[in-house]
Amino acid sequence: MVEFGGWVLPVQYEGVLAEHAACREAAVVFDTSHMGQFVITGPRAAEELAAVCTQDAASLRVGRCRYGFLLNKQGGVIDDTILMRLGDERLLLVVNAGTVGVDFAWLGEHLDAAELVNRSAEGWAKIDLQGPKAFDVLACHVEGKLREMSYFAVAERTCAGRPCVISRTGYTGELGYEIMAAGDDTATVFAALLGDERVTPAGLGARDSLRLEMGYPLYGHELTTETTPVEADAMRFVDPNREFIGAAALRRALEAGPKRRLVAMRSQTRRRAQTDSAILASGDAVGAVTSAAFSPSLGVSIAMGYVRTEHAAVGKPLTIRTTRAELPVETVDTPFYRNGTCRAKLG
Amino acid sequence: MQPKDLRYTEQHEWIRVEDSTGTVGITEHAQSALGDITFVELPPVGKQVAKGDEACAIESAKAAASIYVPAAGKIIEGNAALEDDPSAVNSDCYGAGWVYKLELSDPSEVESLMDAEVYDKFLAQEAR
Repeated sequence: MVEFGGWVLPVQYEGVLAEHAACREAAVVFDTSHMGQFVITGPRAAEELAAVCTQDAASLRVGRCRYGFLLNKQGGVIDDTILMRLGDERLLLVVNAGTVGVDFAWLGEHLDAAELVNRSAEGWAKIDLQGPKAFDVLACHVEGKLREMSYFAVAERTCAGRPCVISRTGYTGELGYEIMAAGDDTATVFAALLGDERVTPAGLGARDSLRLEMGYPLYGHELTTETTPVEADAMRFVDPNREFIGAAALRRALEAGPKRRLVAMRSQTRRRAQTDSAILASGDAVGAVTSAAFSPSLGVSIAMGYVRTEHAAVGKPLTIRTTRAELPVETVDTPFYRNGTCRAKLG
Repeated sequence: MQPKDLRYTEQHEWIRVEDSTGTVGITEHAQSALGDITFVELPPVGKQVAKGDEACAIESAKAAASIYVPAAGKIIEGNAALEDDPSAVNSDCYGAGWVYKLELSDPSEVESLMDAEVYDKFLAQEAR
């Protein structure tokens, strides 16, 4: 067990590598109840959220999700979030565990007529079912349409007899769903899914190696209030010409060009780097590692980190200085792992 | 529970002595605590090491640890098979999962280490 964002979570159940493989090959379920869920309602909810979040809530259709950020006025990332539109006047924002308090205060400060409720504080929980068999498994328990839900769709469905919000999203790169419900109902769904022999429970260890193989950022590592989406190579999720908090700063950052950029690095060996390991180019320190792990799918270690922009091109040899060795790495495109099923068409 | 023919350290290494050669690995307790081993750094062959020195390092999917020297000597071999597949440390820690071999300066030095019975008691004490 390990402390994470104020919660105690299992690093593993049976073993990180087995859980990682189970997600890539079959299906796993994570308890992600530590994450925050805010419900924002009212006739002006979408309009007001659109001015705070990088996601344009006003153009988000009912039944769809969008990834984006809460930014401060300097364009620094307060949090990365998924915004889900449940109804014309009802939206759900899923946020990171460690930032729930800060996010809630920030939204409270900047929303006006919209009503903001921290549903996690009312005992709502969340589990993630992820893996190529996730649909086959979940279809056994869900009433109503599931196959029709495409990547980043969201719907309210009955699952294992309990009312749930189900989104076709996740943090692994595999076909999967996040299932949100009241705590007792979530426990019922969790037990029902674990009762399926195709499903393995998975912990934080596999969750981290799975997300890193996809090159997904982790708040507190790749994303902080000191980093902007421009530096984090995340502008494909942001329309900087729209008005929201931080938009002007992003436009200035784009104009000036970032001094550093997030890069993905692949090692030739199994030895892994550490968070904060220095990144060198021709012997000079040019950046630092933000995340590192052994990649079970690739059989070598991988890392992400920020380097000075002139060293951020893909295909560049760099060196990571760990406490014990210098690791030769090469900058690569993300995802590291290319056979993820998250966008699979279920016909 | 531990093999009777080995000696054990408080850092959870084992050593098997055959003539003046010592073979070193990590114990069942250590591999279980570390979880899936993803990388084993092998010590440089030819290096003179003293008892208690750090010989090399080991990484698992959830942690990293040092492997120490149970008795003084010269490193004569690392288990090269672990470079491509370190999982033997998990599946067979007292056999195929050995980590390195030493030419012992004084094989009798090993007698000061814990035997299986004492190591079992040591583990029970640590668990409390």
